[in-house]
Amino acid sequence: MNKDLTKVRNIGISAHIDSGKTTLTERILFYTNRIHATHEVRGKDGVGATMDSMELERERGITIQSAATYCTWKDIDINLIDTPGHVDFTVEVERALRVLDGAVLVLCSVGGVQSQSITVNRQMTRYNVPRLAFINKCDRTGANPVKVTQQLRDKLQLNAHMMQMPIGLENDLAGVIDLVTMQAIYNDGDNGQILRVEDIPANMLDEAKAKREALLEEVSMFSEELMEALLEGGDIDPELIYAAVRKGTLSLEFTPVFMGSAYKNKGVQLLLDGVRAYLPCPTDITNMALDLRNNEAEFPVTNNPDDPLIMLAFKLEDGRYGQLTYVRTYQGKVKKGDTIYNGRTGKKVKVGRLCRMHADEMEEIEECGSGDIMALFGIDCASGDTFTSEDINCSMTSMHIPEPVISLAVIPVDNKAQINMSKALNRFTKEDPTFKSYVDHETGETIISGMGELHLDVYIERMKREYKAEVQVGAPQVAYRETITDRADFNYTHKKQTGGSGQFGRVAGFIEPFAEGDYEFVDQIVGGVIPREFISSCDKGFQKSLEKGLLCGAPVVGIRCAINDGAAHSVDSSDIAFQLAAIGAFKEGYMRAKPVILEPIMKVVVEGPSEFQGGVMGSINQRRGMIIGSSEEGLYTVIEAEVPLSEMFGYSTTLRSLTQGKAEFTMEFASYKSVPKGVSEELIKKYQAEKKNG
Amino acid sequence: MEATENTENPLHALNINQTMGLVMARAGLGKTAILVQLALDCMLMGNKVLHVSIGETVDKAKSWYDDILSLVSDGEKVSQIPEIMRNRMIMTFKETGFSGIKLEERLRDLIEQDIFRPTCMVIDGYDFAADSREALVELRDVLNRLGLRQVWFSAVCHHDDQRRSALGVPAPCHEVDDVFNTVLLIKPEGDTMRLDVLKSDVSGVRPGALLTLDPSTMLIQKTV
Repeated sequence: MNKDLTKVRNIGISAHIDSGKTTLTERILFYTNRIHATHEVRGKDGVGATMDSMELERERGITIQSAATYCTWKDIDINLIDTPGHVDFTVEVERALRVLDGAVLVLCSVGGVQSQSITVNRQMTRYNVPRLAFINKCDRTGANPVKVTQQLRDKLQLNAHMMQMPIGLENDLAGVIDLVTMQAIYNDGDNGQILRVEDIPANMLDEAKAKREALLEEVSMFSEELMEALLEGGDIDPELIYAAVRKGTLSLEFTPVFMGSAYKNKGVQLLLDGVRAYLPCPTDITNMALDLRNNEAEFPVTNNPDDPLIMLAFKLEDGRYGQLTYVRTYQGKVKKGDTIYNGRTGKKVKVGRLCRMHADEMEEIEECGSGDIMALFGIDCASGDTFTSEDINCSMTSMHIPEPVISLAVIPVDNKAQINMSKALNRFTKEDPTFKSYVDHETGETIISGMGELHLDVYIERMKREYKAEVQVGAPQVAYRETITDRADFNYTHKKQTGGSGQFGRVAGFIEPFAEGDYEFVDQIVGGVIPREFISSCDKGFQKSLEKGLLCGAPVVGIRCAINDGAAHSVDSSDIAFQLAAIGAFKEGYMRAKPVILEPIMKVVVEGPSEFQGGVMGSINQRRGMIIGSSEEGLYTVIEAEVPLSEMFGYSTTLRSLTQGKAEFTMEFASYKSVPKGVSEELIKKYQAEKKNG
Repeated sequence: MEATENTENPLHALNINQTMGLVMARAGLGKTAILVQLALDCMLMGNKVLHVSIGETVDKAKSWYDDILSLVSDGEKVSQIPEIMRNRMIMTFKETGFSGIKLEERLRDLIEQDIFRPTCMVIDGYDFAADSREALVELRDVLNRLGLRQVWFSAVCHHDDQRRSALGVPAPCHEVDDVFNTVLLIKPEGDTMRLDVLKSDVSGVRPGALLTLDPSTMLIQKTV
């Protein structure tokens, strides 16, 4: 029997760090009977919240990875993704938003709209995710849900309206008034599981009526029926209000605001009712796939379980149950034992076990239908891969993955650590597309790169804890290059004829800048002054010279080495003699060819509120950056600049403090450019000192 | 590259040291190319230029400079002359988001913090058909307040709109030509592209004189 998709909600919970979303998730799981006791994130019982399934998360009190879980509320099935709150992990948020149909934006009633709320809201807007807001922590000193609702309008430009009113605030928070049903709702029982519904306290009735009127006036814009009912006067059927709010929410033109305190067990059940009433089911959302057989033409997925399968792997985890692949099915269905196709690799995969995940516990199931989110066992794939049935070949639209911005060298302390580190990196890079690792052929070091210092820090910690890979972390390295800016002649004789077998070779010619590539060797020898067999020796000698430039030891690029004269000895000339002659010739010509040091220049894009434009540009100027331009996107300004990579370390911290954490930046390699004289002198000095010290 | 005055630069025939100028043409005839040449001329003289692009991306505006600089420098890579590019900043706005006040707000921020202090500005994509005369005058006042020496606008005219001012300035600028000191019109004529000087209050070039454009590169060629 096919599932009724109107009874499915795939939702994410996103928020600024410490807004209490993990506690909220915990309460949701408790009220939906998925767990039978609640624990605090930093609780004294040392158990930690259920969704923080990783040891490190429990210790730090932050949620690092999304954990997908399944629960039911009244007649609906909810697939819930708890997403991280820190800016360094936004790829997790973005991936979650990509596969979800709706979201709950959690805000702290004291902190209000904070930097990460702005980022998350922007991401939700990018993916057209309908959302509800939940103002949490109304029991805290300074709680002000009215102010936060206003901030949602002013700072996030959401048409946000309170669906409820708090009964008391801070320590006096007793419950909430539902402005649709006009009832006062209190939570009783040890864990707030019993809802007590009463009349609105008399002293709050007038205010509640006024707020309801304002709410109805606003939502009547989305329903002619409701508007007519309002004009006619009399009682309004709550179903009319639910339908209007739902319509406004789905069209992203209205944001219902709920409130309470997850910690104090207030208002969570009403939020679940809101999820049920206002957030979309899979068929409310149009998701597009790319037809790989038709030049990647876009087409909408059908959500029909009888159509061919289209399923997106949005998260990989290598946990205690082995390799888990979290998938969202967009159409068709998949059963245990089915053969499915990976659109990216073209490989067939047999489906083993299917399960629904509840944080780190699982429930095996037989079939996964359209609109569902669940996990597959033992599937080899990468995050973002699309699986289909045999008869179609398509891919879900690509996910927006920011490029890594910071790199560090990691050095395993011993052989065992080396093996474990490889295993760990292999898993992490598959799980997280923003985390990359490679071996730097120049230094032989393993370099890891990611979205920020904390991002890399967490992976280093995980390497140590989960894989027992003890590693030392090096300082960030910049890959400099050297090149020449002028032509210079050389004429060098390598001569070692002082007894025993001698060495002789003379090489003459020139070096000059070569714009079309890294290196070119030109043979202009006539008359056999250098025998043919030694021409390649000269080439080898030059190439060896290029490995380490004479200024700062960086590889030399953009150079043409031409030989046009020379001499050989019938006995003492050899391959090695001509190689050494070429190395000597290179040294002779190089310093006269006006060499310069090149550094990688990054294209940096900073996005943040317009009020910080000047400060951000100033910070770029201070870093030897060149501002290309700025563009305005609503209340935001996007600044594009070119900045030397060596100046970008620590920029995420600078930017955060400069913009109260409200700006984000990405950077990618743009080109190599020569370093200014002062920097060049410093690098040369440093290299000379290193050489001296061996 | 040093900032030197190139006496052979055909732009100098316009003697445009202090002006509020307008370049008009039908769509696709090279208004932006002319604006970029005027901007590059200022940049090569060591002046700071703000390129305001309305409705276009930063990358698109930047590529105009790269292409034209590559043409005038005989293919020399733009990356090799980064110092000139430090004299330029591009600022883009959405069509609906541009106003004199907003421009002033953003620019003042940069000037007061000594991040970028332009003496020349080009404004590409200003909608003369939609904006009122008051808005344009207000914008001119803003530019005066910011102490800009040279400002150049571009405007699109349409073949089927025959309205003209007394000076021959076509619609939609026929009623605001008094706001500008200099008005240039790009006109295709056979195989050549003419750059007619319709109005020139401050330049040494009399109205009616013309420059020509190389139709393949849109570079200004010579005075006639």
